[in-house]
Amino acid sequence: MLSLRGLTRRFGGLTAVDRIDLDLARSELVSIIGPNGAGKTTLFNLVTGLDRPDAGQVSLDGQAITGFSPERLADEGIARTFQLGRVFGNLSVMENVLIGAHRRLRAVRPSLPLIGPLLELGLALWRPASVRAEEEQLREEARAILARFGERLLPRIDQPAYSLSYANRRRVEIARALALKPRLLLLDEPTAGMNPTETSEMQALIAELKAEGLTILLIEHKLDMVMRLSDRVIVMDEGQKIAEGAGEDVRNDPKVIEAYLGHGSSQPADERETAA
Amino acid sequence: MTSWLDYTINGLIVGNVYALVAVGLALIFGVSRLINFAQGSIYLVGAYIGWVAVVELRTPLFITILLVAAASALVGLIIERFGLRPLQNSVRIAPLLATIGISFVLDQIVMLTFSPNPRALPSQLPDIRFQIGGGTIGSLDILIACVGITSALLLFLFLRYSKLGWAIRATAQDRDAAMQMGVDVNRVNQAVFGIAAALGGLSGMLVGMYYNQIDTAMSLQATLKGVVAEVAGGAGNVPGAIAGGLLLGLVESYGVAIFGTSYRNLFAFLLLILVLFLRPNGLFARARQAPPEPLTGTFIAPSRPIRTPRWALVTAFAVFALLPFLPVSSYVLQTLINAWLFAMLALSLTLVAGTLGQVSLGHAALLAIGAYTSALLSLDLSVPVGMAIIGGGLVSAALGTLLISPSFRLRGHYVSIATLAIGEIVSLVILNWEPVTRGPIGISGIPPLSLFGVELVSAASVYWFSFAVMVLLALLQVRLLGSHIGRSFRAIRDDDVAARAYGLSLNRYKALAFIFGGFAAGVSGGIAAHLYSYINHETFNTQQSILALTIVILGGLGNVAGAIVGSVALVGLPEVFRIAAEYRILIYGIALLLLVRFRPQGLLGTI
Amino acid sequence: MSNIDRRTLVKGSLAAIVTAAAASRALAQSSEPVMLGVSGPLTGPNAQYGAQWKQGFDLALDEIHAAGGINGRKLAYAFEDSQSDPRQSVAIAQKFVSDPRIVMELGDFSSPASMAASPIYQRAGLVQFGFTNSHPDFTKGGDFMWSTSVSQADEQPLLARYAVSHLGLKKLAILHLNTDWGRTSRDYFVKAAKDLGAEAVIAEGYIAEERDFRSTLVRVRDANPDGLILISYYSDGALIARQARQVGLKQTICAASSVYSPKFLELGGEAVEDVHLGTRYFPDDPRPEVRKFVSGFKAKYNGQEPDAFNAYSYDAMNMAAAVLKIGGADRRAIRDAFAKVRDVSTVIFGPATFDVESRRVKGAMNAELVVRKGQFTLWDGKPT
Repeated sequence: MLSLRGLTRRFGGLTAVDRIDLDLARSELVSIIGPNGAGKTTLFNLVTGLDRPDAGQVSLDGQAITGFSPERLADEGIARTFQLGRVFGNLSVMENVLIGAHRRLRAVRPSLPLIGPLLELGLALWRPASVRAEEEQLREEARAILARFGERLLPRIDQPAYSLSYANRRRVEIARALALKPRLLLLDEPTAGMNPTETSEMQALIAELKAEGLTILLIEHKLDMVMRLSDRVIVMDEGQKIAEGAGEDVRNDPKVIEAYLGHGSSQPADERETAA
Repeated sequence: MTSWLDYTINGLIVGNVYALVAVGLALIFGVSRLINFAQGSIYLVGAYIGWVAVVELRTPLFITILLVAAASALVGLIIERFGLRPLQNSVRIAPLLATIGISFVLDQIVMLTFSPNPRALPSQLPDIRFQIGGGTIGSLDILIACVGITSALLLFLFLRYSKLGWAIRATAQDRDAAMQMGVDVNRVNQAVFGIAAALGGLSGMLVGMYYNQIDTAMSLQATLKGVVAEVAGGAGNVPGAIAGGLLLGLVESYGVAIFGTSYRNLFAFLLLILVLFLRPNGLFARARQAPPEPLTGTFIAPSRPIRTPRWALVTAFAVFALLPFLPVSSYVLQTLINAWLFAMLALSLTLVAGTLGQVSLGHAALLAIGAYTSALLSLDLSVPVGMAIIGGGLVSAALGTLLISPSFRLRGHYVSIATLAIGEIVSLVILNWEPVTRGPIGISGIPPLSLFGVELVSAASVYWFSFAVMVLLALLQVRLLGSHIGRSFRAIRDDDVAARAYGLSLNRYKALAFIFGGFAAGVSGGIAAHLYSYINHETFNTQQSILALTIVILGGLGNVAGAIVGSVALVGLPEVFRIAAEYRILIYGIALLLLVRFRPQGLLGTI
Repeated sequence: MSNIDRRTLVKGSLAAIVTAAAASRALAQSSEPVMLGVSGPLTGPNAQYGAQWKQGFDLALDEIHAAGGINGRKLAYAFEDSQSDPRQSVAIAQKFVSDPRIVMELGDFSSPASMAASPIYQRAGLVQFGFTNSHPDFTKGGDFMWSTSVSQADEQPLLARYAVSHLGLKKLAILHLNTDWGRTSRDYFVKAAKDLGAEAVIAEGYIAEERDFRSTLVRVRDANPDGLILISYYSDGALIARQARQVGLKQTICAASSVYSPKFLELGGEAVEDVHLGTRYFPDDPRPEVRKFVSGFKAKYNGQEPDAFNAYSYDAMNMAAAVLKIGGADRRAIRDAFAKVRDVSTVIFGPATFDVESRRVKGAMNAELVVRKGQFTLWDGKPT
C-alpha cells in the first residue's frame, strides 16, 4: 500500500533521512525503531506532508504522493499521531474527534472552487436538515469510537482536552485519527510516558485495529510491544535503515545492538518509560 | 545623475538611524522571541533624558552619552524584570501585549512629565560639515554611523567571544537546553534588555540632536520603522538589522525620488510586506532552515470560559433595548452608540484574533474600507444609505481578505506585524489615491443614516439601529462558532500543524474568518461614516486597532459576549473618567498590563 | 399656645422654604458663570495645541472679567478632551447639548473631529464655534456652525503676494502638510501665485510625523526653484528649514502664518534666519489690540511670547464674549447674535464682523515678517 523509494532529507550538513526504502502491504503493521535522533519522526513528517523530501518518492496504492500537502494526504486517508501528543487543548474531547472526521464532511463542505468556501459559510449559518443530519451522524460515530476506550474518555466527552491527563490526551489523539477512517495510520510513540497498565491497554487497542485490517506504521521504543504487534520491524540509525525483518531477527542483529549501545544515550528496553 | 548619489547618501544616513533602533529589537527578539513594541518608547525616554542632561545639567558630550545609556539600560532592566519576566511561563501572546501596554505607559509618563510640546535638543558636537555629492554630511551623521558600527562590532565580538555572549546565543537557540546546561536565563534576559535599551535610548538622543527636535510622537514611528528594518534584516539577526536599516533608508529615499514625498511610508511598509511574504526569515537568512520542533505550548491561554446564563443575557438585552425609553441623556445614548459600533469591530477581531488566533493589529483598516465604500456609494452613486452600508461590509470583506491573504502563511508574531503594516498601507493608500478617496481633503457631506427612506435623526433611533445591527452580527457569529467552522477555527488556533494533518485547509478557513469579520467591521465603518458625515484617512487609525485588541483581550479571546461587555467597558468607562482626562491613556496602558499579567484569558474567558 | 395652628405652621414653613429656594436660585443664577463648552485635544497627538488654546482662553478671560464680565456674570469654560478624535467629539457634543448650562461650544481642533460633531450641534441648536478647524466645508454643516478660522481663500493670496510680488520669486517649490488644511492651502496658493505670474515647479506633501526631508529636498533642488514655500506648522517648518540649509539649498524660504511661534525660532536655530513669513500679527505690531495681547500674554506666562494658536483662541474667547453680551443665555439668541456683532476687536482680523452668508469672518490682517538675528521682525522690504 505504502511505498517509499530513496527518501532523503538533509538539514544543512546533517542528513536526517538517508535514502530510505520501505514497503508496507495492506493490513500490515510495521514498526520503526531506533535510537533517539535516528530520523524516525522526520520520516513520518516526510510521508505525511509536513516536510518535503530532498530526494526520493512516496507512493500510496501506486499513486505518487511525494510532496503532497498534509491536508491532501488527509483526504487520501492517511492519519497520524504526533510524538509529543498534539490535541486541540481548548476543544472538548468530542470536538477533537469531530475534527478528525473533518475530511468526511460532504453536505456542508462543497468542494467547488472559489464559491465553495462561501457556500460552506452559508450552509454553516443556515444549517439545513442535511447538514444537521450529517453532524449528528458524525457525533454518533465519534461516540462509538470513544467507547472503544471504555470509561476513559466517554465520561469526559465535553471537557476541554487540556484538562485531561496525559494518557487520556494521547487516547484522544488516537480517537481523532480513527475518526478520519484512515486507510493508513501512522502512530508516533503512542505509549510514550505511559505506565505499564496504560501501555498494555494501548497495545490491546492497536492489536484490535490491526485485526480489523487497518494498515499501521508504528514508531515505538518499547520493544516488548513492538515484538508482539509487528509483522516486520525496521531499525533506523542516523538516518539510515540498518536492519529489517522479523522482530526476533532484528533484535539480535549485531548492527542494531551496536547502534543502541554505541550511542550510549538510549538502550532498547523491555519496559521503558520514556519521558515525553 | 549626481542626484542619485545624493538619494543614496540620504538613504544611508536615515538608514543609519533606523539601524540603531533595529539592532536593539534584533537583540531582544533573538533571545526571547519577542517583538518589543516598547522599543520606540525607550528611544523616546533616551531622547528626553538626553535633553535633561544637555539643557538642564549641561554635561559634556561624553557624560551625556553615558548618562543616557545608563538610564535607558535601567529602564530596560525594569521593564524586563517587572513587566516581562512574570509572563515567562504565560502564553506567547502575553509578552506581545505587555510591550504594547508598556509603550503606552512610558509614553504617557514622558508626556505628563515634560508636556507634549516639541523641544530643541542641541547637538553637543561642533557643526563641521563635509561636502558629499550635492549635499553635506555633518559631524553628527558621522557620530551616529560610528555608534551604529561600533555597537554592532562590539556586540558581534561580545556574542562570539565572551561567556555571557555565549550564554545569550545559547539561550536564543534553545532556551530549555541552555537552562539545563546551567545558563542563568534570567540574567541573560536582563543583560540583553539592558543592552538593547541602552542602544535604544542612545539612538533616541542622537536622533533628537540630529534633528534638533524631540517630541512625544517620536515613539511610535521609531517602533514601526525599527520593526520594518529588523524584519527585513532577519528577526534576531544583529548584523542583519543594520543591513535592514540601511536598506529601509534606501528604499524610502528612492521611493521619494521616483514617486514623491507622500509615498515615503508606503514604500517602507511595502518593503516589510514583501520581505514577510517572500523571505520571512529576512533577506539575509539562509534558505530552508530546519523546521522548528513542534511546540506543545499553545499561543492562547487555556481557560474555562464563564458561561453567561441565559437569563443574564436576556435581561441585559432587554435593559439595553429599552434604555432610550428611560430618562437617560443623549450623552449616555451617544456613548453607547460608540460602544455598539466598537463592539462590531471587536466582534470581528475576536473572531479573527480570538477564535482563529490571528492577532491582527491593523483591524481598523477594515473600518476604513467599509466607511469609504459606503460614503462613496451613497455620494457618487446615490445608493440608499442602508444598501451602501451593506456594500461597505461586502467590499471590506472581499478586499480586506484579499489584502491580508498573503499573511496566511505566516505564524505567531509575524501575523501581527504583517497586519500592522497592511493597516498602515491602507491608510496611506487612502491618503494618496485622490481620484477616488479625495486624498487628504477627505469626504464631507456624507448623507446621514436613513432606513427605507426615513432619516434616523434622534439619538434614540440611531441607538436602536446600531444596537440592532450589533445584536444581529453577534447572533450570527455565535451561530458560526457553534458550527463545524467554529470548531475548525479553534482547532487551527490551538494547533495548526495538527489541523492541517486532519484536512483543514488553513487558507480556506482563515479567508472565511476574515470574510465574516471583514463584513462586520465594514458595516461598523459604514455606519460611522454616515454618523460622522465626514471622514478622512486619519479617522480610523492604528490607535483604534489597539483599542479593539484590548477590548477583545478584556472580554476574552473568541468570546462574543465578552467582546460586547469589553466594548461597553472600554468605551463607556473613559467617559465616566473624563475628569482624569490627562491620565486616561496611562490608566489604559496600566489596565492592559494588569490584564495580561493576571487574567490573560479575559474577564469572561477564552472560548 | 399661640394662634398659629399646625396647618398654618406647615403651610407657612413650606412657603418660606420655597421662597427662599427660589430666591437663592435666582441669586445663584446671576452669580453662576456663563458656561462655554470646549471640545479639543488635551492628550493624544495634538495635545500641545490644546494647551495653547487654554493659554489664549485664560488670558482673554482675565481681561473680560476685569472689564465686568458678561453683563456682570463671569464667563467660564468646561474643556473636554476629545483627543481630536471624531468618536469622542461626538460623545462630547451630546454631553454639551444635554447640559443646559452650556450656551455655546468652541472647537474642535481638527476637521474630522469638528465636522463629525456638527450634525449633533445643528440638530440640537447649540452654536459650534470653530476657530482652528480650517476645512472649507465646516460652516456648511448648518446655521449653527460659525468660524473665525481664517479661510485659506483669504490667506493664501496674501502669502502669494508676499512671495511673488514683493520678494520677486517666480519659480516656487511648495512643501505642505498633507492634511486637508495643507492641501486646501496649497491649492489656493498655487492658483494665487499663478494669477500673479509665478509658477509652481514642484509641490510635495508630507505627513505630520515626517522627520527627514533630505530626499524631498533633493527633488526640490532638481526642480530648480528660486524660492521655497512652506505650508507647515512650526515644528515641521523648522525641520525643513534646517535640512534645506544642511543640504545646501540657498533659496529664499517663505512660510505661511502657521509657523509663527517662538518654537519655530527655538527648534530652527540659525537655519531659520532670513525665513520670510506672512502673519496676522507680530511682536512689535503697533495695533493696540495686539499690544494688549502680547504684553498681557508675556505678563501672565512668565515672559513667554505668544504664537498663532494662542492668538486664535484669545480672539475666539473675546468674540464669544461679544456675542454673549448681545445674545444673552439663550442658545438660539446666541446664534442670531453672531450675525449682529460688529467690529469686535481681534488680533487676527482687526475689527471683525461675520459674513452671514458664509458664517465666517472675511479678510485678515497681514504683516510681512522675516526672521532676523533670531527674532521676528517686520520686513523692511530689502531683499535677503
